[in-house]
Amino acid sequence: MKYDFLDNDLLSRLGSLPIESRVPMLGNVAGKHRSPHRGSSVEFAEYRKYVPGDDTRRLDWKAFARSDRFYIKEFEADTNLRAYFVVDASGSMNFAGSGDSKIQYARRIAASLAYLLVNQGDAAGLSICTDKLHLEVPPSRRAAHLERFFSTLGKLEPSGETGLITALHTIAEKIGQRAFVVILSDLFTDPSALGDALQHLRYRKHDISVFHLLDPLEIGFEFDRPHRFVDLEDGTALVAEPNLIAEEYKTALRDFLTKVRAKCHDASADYQLVTTDTPLEPLLRDFLTARLPKSKH
Amino acid sequence: MLFLAPLLLWFLAAAAVPIAIHLINRRRHKTIQWAAMQFLLKASRQSRGKKKLRNILILTCRALAIAALALAAARPIVSGLIGWGGGSIDTVVLLLDRSASMEIRPGDGLASRRETAISKVRDAMADLGSARLVLIDSASGRPQEIPSPEILDTLSSTASTDSTADLPALLARAAELLTDITGRSEVWLVSDLQESNWKPDDERWAAARASLSALPQKPAVRVLSITGPTAANSSIRLLSSHRSGDELLLDLEILRSGEARGTSAIPLTTQLNGSRTTENLTMPGQSLRFQKRIALPAGSETGHGWLSIPADGNPRDNAAFFAYGPARPIQSLLVSPPGESADYLALAAAPPGLENHATRRVDPAEAAAAITADLAAILWAAPLPAGPAADALQNFLNSGGHVLFLPHGTPSDISFSGLSWADPTEAPAGKFFILGDWNHTDGPLRDGIDGTPVAGNRLKAIRRQIPLGDFTPLARWEDGEPALIRRIFDHGTAWFLGSIPDYTWSNLGDADVLLPAVQRIIAAGAERFDASHHADVGSPAASLLPGETRSRIDDYGSPDPANADYEAGIHRLGERLLALNRPPAEDSPEILSREALDAVLDGTRYTLLDQAGQANDPNISRDVWRAFLVAVLFFLISEALLCLPKKTITEALPQKTAA
Repeated sequence: MKYDFLDNDLLSRLGSLPIESRVPMLGNVAGKHRSPHRGSSVEFAEYRKYVPGDDTRRLDWKAFARSDRFYIKEFEADTNLRAYFVVDASGSMNFAGSGDSKIQYARRIAASLAYLLVNQGDAAGLSICTDKLHLEVPPSRRAAHLERFFSTLGKLEPSGETGLITALHTIAEKIGQRAFVVILSDLFTDPSALGDALQHLRYRKHDISVFHLLDPLEIGFEFDRPHRFVDLEDGTALVAEPNLIAEEYKTALRDFLTKVRAKCHDASADYQLVTTDTPLEPLLRDFLTARLPKSKH
Repeated sequence: MLFLAPLLLWFLAAAAVPIAIHLINRRRHKTIQWAAMQFLLKASRQSRGKKKLRNILILTCRALAIAALALAAARPIVSGLIGWGGGSIDTVVLLLDRSASMEIRPGDGLASRRETAISKVRDAMADLGSARLVLIDSASGRPQEIPSPEILDTLSSTASTDSTADLPALLARAAELLTDITGRSEVWLVSDLQESNWKPDDERWAAARASLSALPQKPAVRVLSITGPTAANSSIRLLSSHRSGDELLLDLEILRSGEARGTSAIPLTTQLNGSRTTENLTMPGQSLRFQKRIALPAGSETGHGWLSIPADGNPRDNAAFFAYGPARPIQSLLVSPPGESADYLALAAAPPGLENHATRRVDPAEAAAAITADLAAILWAAPLPAGPAADALQNFLNSGGHVLFLPHGTPSDISFSGLSWADPTEAPAGKFFILGDWNHTDGPLRDGIDGTPVAGNRLKAIRRQIPLGDFTPLARWEDGEPALIRRIFDHGTAWFLGSIPDYTWSNLGDADVLLPAVQRIIAAGAERFDASHHADVGSPAASLLPGETRSRIDDYGSPDPANADYEAGIHRLGERLLALNRPPAEDSPEILSREALDAVLDGTRYTLLDQAGQANDPNISRDVWRAFLVAVLFFLISEALLCLPKKTITEALPQKTAA
């Protein structure tokens, strides 16, 4: 495969695991995901009282015979799922401690999940955001669409400051129907603004998953000598003795992570803090398994 | 503050190493592109306060630990001469040894021991602030108020001298001075611990100690010992000088310092009445004794001069001064009945060729009248004197004369000053009394100045008399009986030789033994006539008599008029011409042992400080070491505590994936 962020063996091993949505989806095409609309499915949903105007063909005559009342028998409607992968392409995503950069790790997650989605008949779209750029690949179910998806991912060159918050608000406004929004970012932004953006998405009834990507060095902050730290986004420089400020750094990071986690929880987002040295297969397997309905476990 | 190893104070500079490392590390930073900048900026802002202070404290602890270690290694003294706690001293009495031996230098171009001592005292007094300083120098022995320690090295009373030091007298003088001084006082004794200056067996120490103890406020005694290695040094000394007609015979000794090895050539400059000559002497070892004969100008009545070797480690021991007066005959008296023995003795006393030697024989009965003060020596080959003759002989001995007693062959109970003869004894038939052992370095049978021994082993006797009484034996017969003995009187010496030059007694007349022995005894007796032109610096003979004025007339070195009384040289004292040399005690290499020092200063609870950092009292500095080492530990532990990380924060951070 010509894209280094795709792993055939991994995809084949994960192929048996479906990607489930945690909220009912609205779609034009029949699929395997629940829809908020009752439709012609084989799966019984509920009874409700007949109201004038209902399709008389859906009256449950057996119930009428037993209770002398009209009930409409409703079934679950299945529809397809549209997934939006929001990839943060700010300069900070270029950071690589010793292994993959955060953007490369984000590429691997997004590409793998998009492949699995399209493969099971769902649509996958891509939204890339920086402070200056908001590039979108609309969701599509066609296999040929994946080529465009992967190509866009591959050409991604992170730079500048993050435009994640703006992008999330834009997506929340732009997507009319419910969708599965997967956010891949280091979330180096204001947690309150992030919370607002997630709430916006949640208000639009989107299913949100957040992959919070951090490098192990950003968490451990282990250095043996003074360093001149240059900001990947705006070029700000700071000379510091890491050993002397490690405590304060870790305290600030811990506070930030706590806030981010709380905001995600408040917006019912599925939050994953992932370090870039984490093997991808167990990460995705756990992610997909956790999304399965309990009856399918 | 005094440090016994001040060179180690250079390690104080190492205290800057942690700071330098810190600064260098800050400059040697590595650049890294960083994403989580917001946390870094926040952490940096937060660490500016307490963190910065903590950082400074850590660096300070490190620097102070190293500084304390360097200070401990330099061995500071807390209660020493110049140590802590001395600030409340009101009066310091400085006893300064400025004898000739204090002029030795530890190396070329370095300060002498005296100069080093003065410098140390000056620094110490500066530390003490306003303490009063009273100087008693070893040369004058007079107390002198010093207005400012800064001028110590400019005073004539601290300048170098050729005198010796009398330490017990100095301490006694200090004790006497302190009776008039109130407040807390200390006695600082600065010396090179030369044993001949300290005179550890001197009875005056006890009196000085008692005087110190009797003071209302007992002063602390500090001894600053200026010892240690010295530069290469040679010294020249005039052992004796006597005029023989138109010749001046100078017995000289040149000594080299103990480190000197092998043969070396030393130029010897002789100055006589203004004219100089230089010759090279070959030193075969560490000492050389030789006799220098100087031909005097025809008709020269009096004169003077000096002999010198090149300047070296001690500039004060490189010259010997001499002076001479008119030639006078060396007369001796032979008290003996006529006979073979008398003839041999007369011949030995005035041998042909020595025109200035004359002897006169008298019978024992005429001896009392014949004994006069102008005699160099008396040869007494008769029964021991009694009555007026004994009195005259006693006076002669007390005034510096030498008397050689020889046996007379008849038993007698007469004794002279406790000395007497045993009855004559004869050797068994066919056997001899042979001289078995004699003193090769002292007495009339000593080896020649060039090391040639007297042929004492050729002396054989068939008859002898053994001297009895208290004496010092200088030669013994093979059976251990004394053959030659010495008894020193006030200024003179009595000698007893156990046989006589008579063929019925011994072969003493062969001259192998008799001639050198008699000539040496006569020469020793004649020395007192020449001695009027020689004296040691500081001796009574070198003092001015009423009406006399002193002027130095030689051209050696750079005389200091203010110290003329204490400098060697040719001095004219009124009508007297005197060659003053440094006292022999100044050439003595013996250093006072610690035990002897403890004994002489017993009860004073003195403190010994060694300027050279050797053999000091460990009790002085041990506690200070410990204090500084404790400080090192304290700073290191403090630094470690300040460096301890806070674990709680680290544990709270997620390390891996979290859902």
